[in-house]
Amino acid sequence: MQRFNFPVIQPDPALEELRGELQRFLKTERDEGNFKPEPECWMASADPEFSKKMGTRGWIGLTWSSQYGGHDKTALERYIVTEETLRAGAPVGAHWIADRQHAPMLLKHGTEEQKLDILPRIAAGECYFAIGLSEPGAGSDLANVNTRAEKVANGWKINGQKIWSSGAHISHYMVALLRTSSADGRNRHVGLSQIMIDLSLPGVTIKPIVDLSGDAHFNEVYFEDVIVSDDCLLGDEGGGWKQVTGELAMERSGPERFLSSYITLETALWQLSGKMGSDSHALLGKLIANLRTLKGMSWAIANLLDQGVSPETEAALVKDLGNRLENDLTLQARAMLNDLPSDQWSPDMRRIMNIGVLRSPPNTLRGGTTEVMRGITARQLGLR
Amino acid sequence: MINTDGMVAETAAKIYTDLCGREVPHQAEAGEYPQALWDALQENGLPLAWVGEANGGFGADYDETFGAIWASAQAASPVPFAETLIANWMLDRAGLAPANGSASFALSGRTPSADIPFGMHADKIVLFDETHQEISLFDNRAAVRSPEEALSPDGMTQFIFSGHLAEQSAKTNLPRRAVEALILTVRAVQMAAAMETALNLSIDYVCQREQFGRPLSKFQAIQQQLAVAASECAAATMAATQAASAIARHTDDPEKAWHEAVIAKVQIGHSVEAVTVPFHQVHGAMGYTQEYDLHHYTRRLWAWRDALGNEYHWSRRLGEELSQQSPDQIWKGVTTGDWVAS
Ligand SMILES: Cc1cc2nc3c(=O)[nH]c(=O)nc-3n(C[C@H](O)[C@H](O)[C@H](O)COP(=O)(O)OP(=O)(O)OC[C@H]3O[C@@H](n4cnc5c(N)ncnc54)[C@H](O)[C@@H]3O)c2cc1C
Repeated sequence: MQRFNFPVIQPDPALEELRGELQRFLKTERDEGNFKPEPECWMASADPEFSKKMGTRGWIGLTWSSQYGGHDKTALERYIVTEETLRAGAPVGAHWIADRQHAPMLLKHGTEEQKLDILPRIAAGECYFAIGLSEPGAGSDLANVNTRAEKVANGWKINGQKIWSSGAHISHYMVALLRTSSADGRNRHVGLSQIMIDLSLPGVTIKPIVDLSGDAHFNEVYFEDVIVSDDCLLGDEGGGWKQVTGELAMERSGPERFLSSYITLETALWQLSGKMGSDSHALLGKLIANLRTLKGMSWAIANLLDQGVSPETEAALVKDLGNRLENDLTLQARAMLNDLPSDQWSPDMRRIMNIGVLRSPPNTLRGGTTEVMRGITARQLGLR
Repeated sequence: MINTDGMVAETAAKIYTDLCGREVPHQAEAGEYPQALWDALQENGLPLAWVGEANGGFGADYDETFGAIWASAQAASPVPFAETLIANWMLDRAGLAPANGSASFALSGRTPSADIPFGMHADKIVLFDETHQEISLFDNRAAVRSPEEALSPDGMTQFIFSGHLAEQSAKTNLPRRAVEALILTVRAVQMAAAMETALNLSIDYVCQREQFGRPLSKFQAIQQQLAVAASECAAATMAATQAASAIARHTDDPEKAWHEAVIAKVQIGHSVEAVTVPFHQVHGAMGYTQEYDLHHYTRRLWAWRDALGNEYHWSRRLGEELSQQSPDQIWKGVTTGDWVAS
């Protein structure tokens, strides 16, 4: 018996054809100057025009039914699309979160009317969502959320504040984890619910937060007597904790957990072609071995999820390994570039490397910190 | 795949469970060779798993045989089961009959001597001579036994070729990379299995051992160390599985599995340190004793990561090769496992 289980799935020619289409599109867009590649593009690089182009080509909403504007494809096809856009460092940040997690959430918990209204717009690359989990007093200790939704006639009245909400300034909706009733003594996991909030409603204030590089892609979001209708409660009243932790588990093994900084390595490889010394060979060999292994793990999990199996331990491990690898990719690409005097680096190389270094701290924070992930693993190993 | 449920794997697992309990590796090191274990493996034909029917074997599935190797490494096999499989595979590829008894192997020209893994207990040695494109079988009586220098009980001994005639010999067009691919993959499977077994030992230990009035497992510092080690173990399993699949996929041309096999060696070789350090750390002094079982796995991991070149050697070899290729080709390999030689 093996403790960890990863089926090896052979490449599928149909998927590889899709990969080729993506590669041609991304190359043309880049060559025509429609985007400049960046590391961490799925978080920090949003361009609604680019999202609409992806939507027109049918590369958003791959997994859901055409009845709701989707394309009736599998999660594996979506994986190829995300993998290729990450590799290219394309500006996919606007639609990424809605496509990855809110559309599936609406399919599961939304009303027919919401599905018909919102899902086609997400698939078109026109409608964006923000994640409303963190609050000033609730980071790793997520159950400490304090923003309240109070029951009123035909709906909910929301008061409080979310923080670090990526993309909220360009998003149409936020799905927030809110307290809908008090904690039961020490059990704070009860009384939490997920509610979808239209960010254009009166009482919503969005204030950008500037990051250390001067970019503003996350926000504080304030709610003052914001009224939403009953159907904005997604899932069960009081079931928010279970829903949120379930979703987090699913999204931890995606390619954005280890490929966000691949663009930095690849740009370095183009730069160094024919000029690499033997120390760099050793670094390259190790990075490629790590990447290939993580790809295998992440792909195996994607296939298991597609078959309805949810390998939670393996998924948590992928995020921990992947986040470490992302930092390594930037660091080792820097080391390899020693083979070339820095005044010979292309402008693209300098820009990408600097962005890569500046955007490295969040790798091990967002989506659950490294320490939190290791805590989850430890529980699954039977240590806590 | 590494199929631990197949017939071959289950037979091996049962033999190891019955005849290689936790005391057996200890006894073997004290000089009590578990002949009964070897005999049972042999009676069931397991060392012939990779020998074709034409040569008297049963041409078993690669998947299942890798499952059998997994079971042997979990039991810290004191007999050269994996080595014999490799040696017989080489003989079979050269159209020669399998070794009579246990065997090990060397990849070298007819240099005066070669390091033989598990040479202490191999009856025969199979030599892959790349220069002369020849595979030969030697009797191992002339091995120089140097166990005191070995990292682990299955460690290297030296074989001096001069003055010895091969018992059998045949020309082969098997490329060196094909042989490397198989050996590296077998080592990867063994390492992944040993790592997982040592992880299980560590988890059990910290749940039982109490300090400061609580089991060690309740301390966050311990939990986090083992969580990191677990992630390395999972990655090792993946890397070994990917290499094993490549071997099975390219039966006719094992050279094509070279990249995935090297990747497994590099991935797992580098993580040996990342797991053996925390495993020993959480065991305290107990893990440093001969009496306790941990060293059966950690010493083998230290030996296997060196076998056929260590992780630094293979990282460089892989990087050198890939540096000749375009980033587009490298990406194709990373995403699909479809590599080309340059
Ligand atoms: C770029 C970026 C984008 C983000 N986007 C979003 C978003 O869109 N929506 C959203 O809701 N949130 C978002 N976040 C917030 C993110 O989820 C939190 O940063 C994260 O959960 C950690 O919370 P914190 O920052 O409050 O750190 P804290 O919880 O204060 O932790 C600080 C440090 O202490 C450690 N620590 C905390 N508790 C423990 C413990 N019990 N044991 C050991 N160590 C501990 C943590 O691991 C961390 O290293 C984003 C963050 C970043 C950086």
